[in-house]
Amino acid sequence: MGSELGSLVASLLESEPWVGSLEGIDVDPPRRRLRRAVFHLIDPRNRARVFEVVTRFNPHVVIHVAVWEPDARANTATARRLTEDAALSILGAAAECPALQHVVIRSAAEIYGRARGSLTRPDESTPINPTSEFGRMAAEIEATANDVGDRAGVTVGILRLAPVLGPHVPSPLGRLLRQPAVPFSMLADPPFAVLRDLDAAQALVAAGRIGLAHPLNVVAPGAITALQAIRRGHHLPIPLIGPEWAVVRRVSQLFGAPVPEHVVETLHRGRLIDGSRAREDLGVWPITSTPGVIDSLYAWPSVVHVISPTAPVNEGAA
Amino acid sequence: MASSTAKASRSAKIVPLETGDGPIGKVLRVATKPVPSSEPHPAVDEWGRDAKFVDAFAAIARLRWDVSVGGQQLLPKSGPALIVINTRPLALTPVLTALALSEALDRPVRFVGRPDVVPFGPLLRRIGGLLAIPEEVGGALRAGELVLMGAEGTRNPRHAGKVDHHLVAAAIREQVPVHVAATLSTMFSRSARIEVTAALRSGRNRRRGPLADIELAEQAQRRLQDLLDEIGGTRTGVPVLGWFGEG
Repeated sequence: MGSELGSLVASLLESEPWVGSLEGIDVDPPRRRLRRAVFHLIDPRNRARVFEVVTRFNPHVVIHVAVWEPDARANTATARRLTEDAALSILGAAAECPALQHVVIRSAAEIYGRARGSLTRPDESTPINPTSEFGRMAAEIEATANDVGDRAGVTVGILRLAPVLGPHVPSPLGRLLRQPAVPFSMLADPPFAVLRDLDAAQALVAAGRIGLAHPLNVVAPGAITALQAIRRGHHLPIPLIGPEWAVVRRVSQLFGAPVPEHVVETLHRGRLIDGSRAREDLGVWPITSTPGVIDSLYAWPSVVHVISPTAPVNEGAA
Repeated sequence: MASSTAKASRSAKIVPLETGDGPIGKVLRVATKPVPSSEPHPAVDEWGRDAKFVDAFAAIARLRWDVSVGGQQLLPKSGPALIVINTRPLALTPVLTALALSEALDRPVRFVGRPDVVPFGPLLRRIGGLLAIPEEVGGALRAGELVLMGAEGTRNPRHAGKVDHHLVAAAIREQVPVHVAATLSTMFSRSARIEVTAALRSGRNRRRGPLADIELAEQAQRRLQDLLDEIGGTRTGVPVLGWFGEG
């Protein structure tokens, strides 16, 4: 519930008629005002406390959104540790709850990998072959969730989300695209698709509502290339060929926008997935197109000047 | 107050680079030229095909080829279909046929056979190229796309090569019609011809196993050969060039 996506899911669940009571766990406090939900600030390493809270609540449905994208809120090593700990402690505790019927997991499109010769738009039947750290993390979460599902005899629904972007979502791709000057792969400039945070949250809530029991890709319609995205934002494109990427990644990190492995992969090899099945199975589909998500990313002003209507106008004086 | 006034005067001297009048300013202005965010269509579609790039490429291709298309009304106006064509080595027949059919039908036609290496792979993806993988072809057909695949290339322009039954199998799995299109061109002339046929009919004994794929691929090759025989060679009017046209 502490992440942008998690708190958005919680606020949507609050207005769902099928949700009785609602509780959440995270290492960060919620980013939204939640009226009905009860929040527990617990480190995922504290398994005893997580176990106590989860088993006392005894949920029917668990929506597990605790996936730290590398270099979004934490560096790669910390993100991996937090994701592993959260998956083990929360899903492990949920497996012990007698009322548990259904688990929904937030996974990532990076799980399909972008190895040479991989499909342009993999669908859910495509074998997973992660080629980045984030993809491997997603594969491990899915394995843990499926194991919990088998042992506890509950259904597991997995949503493989395209890169989630939004004006307020901490994302390495979003941060990179908002830099004044943005690198892109001149020889490839492959297409990729993204997903708005609100659409991702609605898909997760719908998966909990219908009791989804298989993996589904969720992606916004349309696609865009890095150069097209940069030009939509009126930023300066920096064409790169290959070896200089290592230098650019370090420089970008110095400027506060680290470029993790999976983002480099997106910019070099593209990231498209087939999300047509989600429309049929979930009953909800992303409204904002990929170019629309990119536009909303740039439309977010970094500083909002609020001028009080009663304040005196005094030009030329401080 | 004094310090803040000085601050204000300092900030007034800061001029963004792109507003400068020098050569750097001009370059930056071009590089960061605004793209209208209210664009009705995104520049690339969900398979990476860039409609604007295709238009530009087609305009260049028209300088070399003058393609006449026949039988395009037999292809579906919407919905998926697989089109099998004859090819020659290094002739880029699938690319040119896909461009000509796209223009004739006013809908994207994708072709199978792009490599997955830079710079050719991404370039061909921009004009509608797909990887020659059955799952990729199946995914495109499932998404309602028109997909064009080439038979095995032959040196003789009037001989139809073997048709890959693995790729044809994708059409059977997705229950999509398979059409055949004969293409005829020579390296000495601008004129080229594409003739599309009605969808192939599967045999009376419907197979359930992999034999169905092989039989449909063989049927496509036979129909393609018949069509090439019906069309005949390219008539140039010049004895030696006419011989080249006959293969």
